[in-house]
Amino acid sequence: MTKASFRDELVHVSALQEYVYCPRRYYYQRYQDQIGTTYELVDGRSKHAAQSRRGGWTTERYFRSDSLGLHGKIDLIESDRGTLTPIERKRAESGDYYPSDEVQIAAYCMLLEDAIDEAVNVGYIYLYSTDERHAIHITGKHRSAVQTIIDRIRSMSINSIPSFTNNTNKCNGCSAREYCMPAETAQLEPERARGTGWEDHP
Amino acid sequence: MKATEGMFDESVVYVTKQGTQVRTDEGRIVVWDVDAADDEDPELATYPKEKLDTINVFGGVNFTTPFVAEANEHGIVLNYFTQNGKYRGSFVPEKNTIAEIRRAQYALDYTEELAIAKEMIAAKIRNQRTLLSRKGVHGTDVLKDLGKRARNVSNKDDLRGAEGEAAERYFDRLDETLVSGWTFEKRTKRPPEDHINSLLSLTYTFMKNESMSALRQYNLDPFLGVLHADRHGRPSLALDLEEEFRPIFCDAFVTRLINRGVFTHDDFSKDNHLSDDAFKTYLSKFDGFMQETLTHPHFEYEVSRRKAVRQQAILLRKAITGELTEYHALSFDR
Repeated sequence: MTKASFRDELVHVSALQEYVYCPRRYYYQRYQDQIGTTYELVDGRSKHAAQSRRGGWTTERYFRSDSLGLHGKIDLIESDRGTLTPIERKRAESGDYYPSDEVQIAAYCMLLEDAIDEAVNVGYIYLYSTDERHAIHITGKHRSAVQTIIDRIRSMSINSIPSFTNNTNKCNGCSAREYCMPAETAQLEPERARGTGWEDHP
Repeated sequence: MKATEGMFDESVVYVTKQGTQVRTDEGRIVVWDVDAADDEDPELATYPKEKLDTINVFGGVNFTTPFVAEANEHGIVLNYFTQNGKYRGSFVPEKNTIAEIRRAQYALDYTEELAIAKEMIAAKIRNQRTLLSRKGVHGTDVLKDLGKRARNVSNKDDLRGAEGEAAERYFDRLDETLVSGWTFEKRTKRPPEDHINSLLSLTYTFMKNESMSALRQYNLDPFLGVLHADRHGRPSLALDLEEEFRPIFCDAFVTRLINRGVFTHDDFSKDNHLSDDAFKTYLSKFDGFMQETLTHPHFEYEVSRRKAVRQQAILLRKAITGELTEYHALSFDR
């Protein structure tokens, strides 16, 4: 019963990024409300709030698409001579953006073009840390990645928890780590960590 | 291995000063002294709300309505105690019941409950031996045997039997760990008949409360136990979880208080309660003790005792939801 109702639900754009970062983390968030609040998130929220007070842009616009199975709020849309371009702002301490950010901006482009019925092939990622914006050209690869992740998210179920991430570095800044306990699990029940990046981290 | 980053250590706050008010101010939680004189700063303490998960208040302390709304919003549990530490009740935020977790907990069958309870009791007995051995008390083979028995029982009554027998043997020997002037005749409760029993009872109450906070934080129902019988108003699961901590944390703490001379017999009233000042000392010592770090016996990184307790609640939850195959109790081999 729950499964069917989840299938009917649209996937939120922020979920794509969460899922790409770590499916297990996303599982905790979705089914158990079990991720901490990181400083970065709190800080990011306040920056968003400060930025969205500036005028001259279309900000915080909500879109949904039943055909894509996707919905979400685009942070900022720039309109330049009739061309609409979504912009996603990131804190990005490292001074760089991640593949998951690209997936997110691709999803925004797809949402936007579904709404305006025109191709949107470019989106921007703006990084606070460097005060730079990066143009992302949305390719077919981006589009199929978005669709694949949407399908994966829609077929998730509470009874099957995704395994630990292969990239153990991702755990370092993860607010769900205290609950997730990848290293501890690898130690207590090694078979649970088999085939993941945590296998060799006793 | 590196310890996971945590906010657990300062996550519990105790407010004992009478006549104070807990309120919010620009997103922070502030303990305010309503009776402060003009030349005194009325702000006694302030905390970012993201950091706290439990506030324990003793006696005449009140909360503003906006603060309670914030506590609800941020999942902060408020526990009410009388001025001398008797538990009165709690305010539990509404987000604190995740249906799926509760469903898994209520669906545990007898065999699964017994398996978890066995781990808890076996660890408790192991920890009893370890505490005695740390204090130089040897010849505890009978406890070793009782620990084995606990692992092999086929029902809860036999497990309670092994636990009870171990407790009797253990408390018999605990006396040997105390400085002169203090004796431990036997464990008594309701009411504790002497000063040392009074300290033990108080400490078990506080540890039960730590266990309750931890269980609530991870959405387990503290009132539905795996070993302690369910009785109206009794937090059975918190008492179950507490078992493994009793010797190594609670009893160790009480013997330390006594052996270091923190309290003398003069600090107790006729009915074996701590005096007001001594109780305040007790609270700060207890909180300090919970924040003290030790090397985790399994994970081998430094953790505070409070965090170790919270981790056990997580491990218990994982055992209940099937993320882990069994419950891994906290046991110290040395």
